[in-house]
Amino acid sequence: MTRNRPRIGLYTLAIIASVISFLPIIWLILTSIKTTAGIYAWPPQYLPAPVTFQNYIDIFTKSPELLLYVLNSLIVGLGTTIVSLSLGGMAGYALSRLGMRRAGVLMVFILAVSMFPPVSLLPSLFQTFLNLGLLNTYTGLIIAHTGLFLPFSVWMLASYFATLPKEIEEAARMDGMGFFRIFWSIVIPLSWPGFVATGLIVFIHSWNEFPLALVLMTQNAMRTAPVGISLYPGEYAFPWETISTATVIAIVPILVITAIFQKQIVGGLTAGTGK
Amino acid sequence: MTTSVTSPLDRRRHLTGMAFVTPTLLVITAILVYPILQSIVLSFGTSSLDGSEPYQFVGLKHYAALAQTERFWNALGVTLTFTALSIPLELIMGIGLAVLLNESFRGKGIARLAVLFPWALPTALNTLMWRWMYNTDYGLFNAVALQSGVVDRPINWLGDETLAMLSMVVVAVWKTSSFMALIILAGLQSIPRELYEAGRMDGMTRWQEFREITLPLLKGPILVALIIRSMDALRTFELPFNLTDGGPVTATESLSLYAYKVMFDFIEFNFGAAIVVVQFLVIFAMSLIYILTLRNKD
Repeated sequence: MTRNRPRIGLYTLAIIASVISFLPIIWLILTSIKTTAGIYAWPPQYLPAPVTFQNYIDIFTKSPELLLYVLNSLIVGLGTTIVSLSLGGMAGYALSRLGMRRAGVLMVFILAVSMFPPVSLLPSLFQTFLNLGLLNTYTGLIIAHTGLFLPFSVWMLASYFATLPKEIEEAARMDGMGFFRIFWSIVIPLSWPGFVATGLIVFIHSWNEFPLALVLMTQNAMRTAPVGISLYPGEYAFPWETISTATVIAIVPILVITAIFQKQIVGGLTAGTGK
Repeated sequence: MTTSVTSPLDRRRHLTGMAFVTPTLLVITAILVYPILQSIVLSFGTSSLDGSEPYQFVGLKHYAALAQTERFWNALGVTLTFTALSIPLELIMGIGLAVLLNESFRGKGIARLAVLFPWALPTALNTLMWRWMYNTDYGLFNAVALQSGVVDRPINWLGDETLAMLSMVVVAVWKTSSFMALIILAGLQSIPRELYEAGRMDGMTRWQEFREITLPLLKGPILVALIIRSMDALRTFELPFNLTDGGPVTATESLSLYAYKVMFDFIEFNFGAAIVVVQFLVIFAMSLIYILTLRNKD
């Protein structure tokens, strides 16, 4: 491509795209630091005058359940990530490196079942969880989310293991190491970038998942952040000063993770799609 | 599984493999395979939630009732319209963003983050942000529209049947163009530079380069992105749930939202199961069409 071509058009497009992307988030943050009068003022207040953090103080003092939602999301997200990486790592290793018969068929099967729409799982999952006492438990939602995101984890990790040189494992076997020890003390330490990328995406997916979290957590105190905030009751109208503030608190962890690890996340999301 | 295992090493390798795969297969069976099968069974019978009433097979009764239910056809139409409107727009935006991010310029990191953020945030909360901007009395859009004199009365973005659907499409395109862009960008980056140099030798314009070199080589990634996004759009749930609750009346009620209401508001699990089975078949048929198209193009 020509190097000295005018770049004004390029910058204009990049700026427009960035502004459109950030606009809802910026507007949300601006809303959260306005006074209630400022939020509902006419003429509209584009910039907060005065800036206030009262909405944040109010959340901590008057509606602590909104913080509980964030904590629930954190527990479910971390639990799902840990279980998905453990099980997905083992399965991915077996399917990519242990020369299993029908490994290809199993991989396609795992991919195919991952395409089931979550809502089609609901009638059965709700009933089963109800009868097993798993509704409104962290264990229940972690198992459900693991089921949803395990296929992705298996595929991601299998494709990562496939890039490791085979000689390392062969040398270890010469030294008399068993398959489990090779996996545990050689393959896992070598594959941590794959685990990081997979884990980040699984965590984000679990944090964002809605239908199962809505149906399997029916008690207010057990709701995850997206569900709890969406169902947050207002006395006569949707309380936007509280909702905007709670939403900012609930998206900050994801914004920080995305900003720090954007390379790993992009790499993980696009792995294998170019082929 | 019966295998002709020869050496002890192969035997150990085989056993380790089975031990490593089994937990994953158990979880996938319990959470994905068994529920789908049970949904199918439920859709052919009547039963009670807690199992106090025994399951009774009623054949196609629920499906016959479904065919007579106008609200079901409406939900199917809403879902297909939403998919048909949002996917092409997402594709165009996605290709545009990918081409943009494939250039090198200062501040590209920020532009890439801007593209990534809408994807990374929960759809439910993204939708709330947009609902706030669409708000008739206090929203950003009406504030700007009224103050600039474009309109003299507030626009009821989510209260008008057509506008509500378009508003929903805008949120979907904003949220998911980034995903399209990232997949297409990965494809762009794998195109060898030499092809463009050869193109320039032949005196191609940039548009010709794009049409004759870039697009044909992007077919694979574009189809992958289309399949993943169409499946997402056909099962869209929290977007109408949070933006309009399916309204006005049922103008934006997707199949997923309708099925959810039948099951959890009206507590009709067997009828709801019939809806999700139909939805499953629609998604399955669509994936098949894409895959066959992909095969024919190769």
